[in-house]
Amino acid sequence: MFQNYIKIAIRNLQKNKAYSFINIAGLAIGIACCLLILLFVAHELSYDRWNPQADRIVRTYADINFGGNHFQLAVTGVPIGPDVQREISDVQSYCRLRNYGSHLVRKEGEGTQNFREEEVLYADSTFFEIFPLAIASGEARTCLTKPNSVVLSRSRAEKYFGSAQAAMGQNLIVENESAWKVTGVFEDMPANSHFQAHLLMSLNGNREIMEATQMWAMSNNFQTYILLKEGTSFDTFSEKFNNLSRQKIGQTAAQMLGLSLEKLEATGQYARIGLQRLTDIHLHSDLDVELGPNGDIQYVWIFSAIALFVLFIACINFMNLATARSAHRAKEIGVRKVLGSTRGALIGQFMSETLFMAFLSLILALALASAVMPWFNELTGRAIQIPWASPMFWGLLACGVLITGFLAGSYPSFFLSGFETIKVLKGQLSRKAKHGGLRSALVVFQFATAIVLIICTTVVYNQLNYIQNKKLGFRKDQLIIIDDAYALGDGILAFKQEMLKHPGVESATISSFLPVPSNRNNTTFTKSREFRQDNSVNLDIWDVDHDYFKTLGLELIEGRLFDKNRPADSSAVILNETALKNFGFTDNPIGKKIYYLESEPKGDTKPSDFVEYTVIGVVKNFHFESLRTHISSLGLFLDDSRGLITLRYKAGESRSVIAALEKQWKAMAPTQPFSYRFLDEAFSRMYQTEQRLGQIALIFASLAIFVSCLGLFGLASFMAEQRTKEIGIRKVLGATTAGIVGLLSKDFLLLVGFALLLATPLAWWGMHKWLQDFVYRIDISAWVFVMAGLAAIAIAFITVSFQSIRAALANPVKSLRSE
Amino acid sequence: MIKTVGLTKIYRTDEVETTALSGVNVDIKEGEFVSVMGPSGCGKSTLLNVLGMIDSPDGGDYFFNGEEVGRLPERKRADIRKRNLGFVFQSFNLIDELTVYENVALPMFYTGAPAAERKQRVEELLEGMHIMHRRNHYPQQLSGGQQQRVAVARAIVNRPKLILADEPTGNLDSSNGDEVMKILAELNAQGTTILMVTHSQYCAEFGNRIIRMLDGQVVTENVVKQYL
Repeated sequence: MFQNYIKIAIRNLQKNKAYSFINIAGLAIGIACCLLILLFVAHELSYDRWNPQADRIVRTYADINFGGNHFQLAVTGVPIGPDVQREISDVQSYCRLRNYGSHLVRKEGEGTQNFREEEVLYADSTFFEIFPLAIASGEARTCLTKPNSVVLSRSRAEKYFGSAQAAMGQNLIVENESAWKVTGVFEDMPANSHFQAHLLMSLNGNREIMEATQMWAMSNNFQTYILLKEGTSFDTFSEKFNNLSRQKIGQTAAQMLGLSLEKLEATGQYARIGLQRLTDIHLHSDLDVELGPNGDIQYVWIFSAIALFVLFIACINFMNLATARSAHRAKEIGVRKVLGSTRGALIGQFMSETLFMAFLSLILALALASAVMPWFNELTGRAIQIPWASPMFWGLLACGVLITGFLAGSYPSFFLSGFETIKVLKGQLSRKAKHGGLRSALVVFQFATAIVLIICTTVVYNQLNYIQNKKLGFRKDQLIIIDDAYALGDGILAFKQEMLKHPGVESATISSFLPVPSNRNNTTFTKSREFRQDNSVNLDIWDVDHDYFKTLGLELIEGRLFDKNRPADSSAVILNETALKNFGFTDNPIGKKIYYLESEPKGDTKPSDFVEYTVIGVVKNFHFESLRTHISSLGLFLDDSRGLITLRYKAGESRSVIAALEKQWKAMAPTQPFSYRFLDEAFSRMYQTEQRLGQIALIFASLAIFVSCLGLFGLASFMAEQRTKEIGIRKVLGATTAGIVGLLSKDFLLLVGFALLLATPLAWWGMHKWLQDFVYRIDISAWVFVMAGLAAIAIAFITVSFQSIRAALANPVKSLRSE
Repeated sequence: MIKTVGLTKIYRTDEVETTALSGVNVDIKEGEFVSVMGPSGCGKSTLLNVLGMIDSPDGGDYFFNGEEVGRLPERKRADIRKRNLGFVFQSFNLIDELTVYENVALPMFYTGAPAAERKQRVEELLEGMHIMHRRNHYPQQLSGGQQQRVAVARAIVNRPKLILADEPTGNLDSSNGDEVMKILAELNAQGTTILMVTHSQYCAEFGNRIIRMLDGQVVTENVVKQYL
């Protein structure tokens, strides 16, 4: 019997090629989308789960609102780990990580090539106790105990020394100065880890740790992970930790400001050190100074919803087309019933047909998914693979196809098998089959989804466009950044002078600080030589040279720039407008003094511990951080900071400038890696998440529309077919082609209009929420909805009119005779 | 074999009530070949459908082999139908997606006959109907007469006791029609009971009794004198 069903199914597919294509391709696209996204979601949810102790690990974070700035940092201070282990018995171990950014690294020896290593972390010796990675060589417990020991990932060991074994005991030269001995090699970290490390360097002997203050919440530079003893609940530990934290921060407040924590908090300012679970970091943590880019649970939800929508739309197509086609199957159903088939057997037949088609779709979907996987990985910034070898994957897939098949097949099966035998044999279909309220509802749902996606895409792109074109307060175009400029050593100034001779270079500046992700440093300044909560302003400190303003195109609104002829400018500062406001320098700010404590604050501070700076100018506020945040207080200081060289080139000169730069670099620093980027690209990269969202919304909107149109196309053709006689009669009675096209399209357009009504408030609400992430954002204007509606109507009309025009042009004699 | 007492059938649409059968009494013995005649809309097809158990009566009793079947649930009727009845339609009603062979074999799937028996029986019938050479063709590839022969083969594949034929020659030219009538007459001669609805006096006279209907009632029943 089953064979018979499949036979009929295959012949039906062959006979109605267009219908089969619409059904199978539509469903395959739906399944492929769903598959890719579910793999992505599974990947996102798997972060840090490879760690068998994941549930017992927490990380500390700092939440500080002081001096006009609010920080939420993934880093905390040096004393926190040791204090917690001493004071709370639930703690088994802790590990601090310090990220100093990328390092230039080379193998010891004459003339060896330097490489730039991005994933370098300084770690306590307990690293492998908390993150139990497989060790290829060396001893996990002791490899990080000695000063100047470095542990490499297998891939780096092979890169520098050929193999894990060969690396052991060898030296690496870091930043062209210090030698670090390889004491261990670990297997590369799993990709689903919230941070990646290829070089782990011992924190033993680290100056920052040795000189650190013992006060909490004063200086925050270290990631601190705490491993709890087995059986400790997060909540009980969290309570103990919070008590300790308040006590310690209270001591800091008393010592530094002479205030109790309660009094400080009464002013609206506060400092808190809190805990987050390791397994929450990837999807729930969005702090400053994270070790790597994290995911976002919001996007996991959005993705999952979109996947289900696309699959659902494809299922709807399936149901709609199958029921619409019922007229063609009616005779077969009637005959089978007369010959003794029960309703159950018919349901079985249609179900097996659907399942068979779902199965074909699955095969196509797998092919599709594996074909677009590299591109999907690029889009999501992940390295996801289809787990071909996993029995669980196949099991879930089988379940998924069964569910999809049943979902898509259930309604048509029950609908078709419920036909009355005599009526279908006589060719009388129930009126239900012709109109179908459910079918209309399904079309409305499909188009509502498509319209929501169109609107979201438009809004996201509008916002991105707004970001790209917003007046930022600096000129982001025609700027080249050279990384690791310090590798030029003392030659850096000569390099800059040499490049300024190039006719394509307008100006150049040496500074590690740029209004794109780069170095950051901030500290608290005061208006007098003492610490009080009411005279303090937290200031971002940027060290720049004389050519900085000119090169970046910053606008000075008061005072003057740094002057090469005034040596006293080394203690001068140029503030931005926000800083001015926060210091309260409302009128005549030029000449005002600000102060800061030079050494790490340790306890009683004397007025002579403060260093004085004079305000010489005010720079117009510029967006030096992303548009998601307000512009905070910034001070520009004249000081050496040699991380980056930034050059402004003349339009059209980028190629020749880059060629000249590289040549000059190779001549001056042959063993150092040369790398450059454009500032406007670095700027765009700050909004990568949003760009991804935009791309994803665009792709899925297109897919949703495509699949919806497939369905609409099929539906329209069946409608036209069913109304052949009506059209024939109307034509005989004198209807025009246009009139008939209108008649046939009207119903569909009405449905799309209804979908628009449904979609508009939903899309508005969702996008309004999304835009809240940005301090600087667009307003959602009405034309977005008008445009999306018009687009949907136009697409629907084109799809439907293809069929209706054909029906309208048909010879009425033919259609009437066929009745 | 068939006995009805006061059989009625009323069709209802939203506003209109049409009486298709009103108090029909028929009695058909095993081995008979009964033709039903009458003008369009007189209820002859309805009678055939009710007797064929694809439609249920609204009143009266329908005894099939002594058992009341008019009020049986659909599932039971389907079961009796597939074991005892064979159908031949004016428009053949072959399944387009199945080949000649598969169409004929289809009823045997529903009765669950073993594959070997199925093959033997279907081939035997196709030989008998002279369409063996067309066994792998699809219905659209056949002439009307061939299609109707396939339909007849399908109707008798399960060796039914009763064949119900609704204008079997209505869509055929006279020579093909003749051929189909001869097959039916031959089946009747072999012992199969036949109930046939027809417009044609010529075809009706292949049977041995003619029931004439008008407005849902049986008007006359005459015995056909001439035998083939």
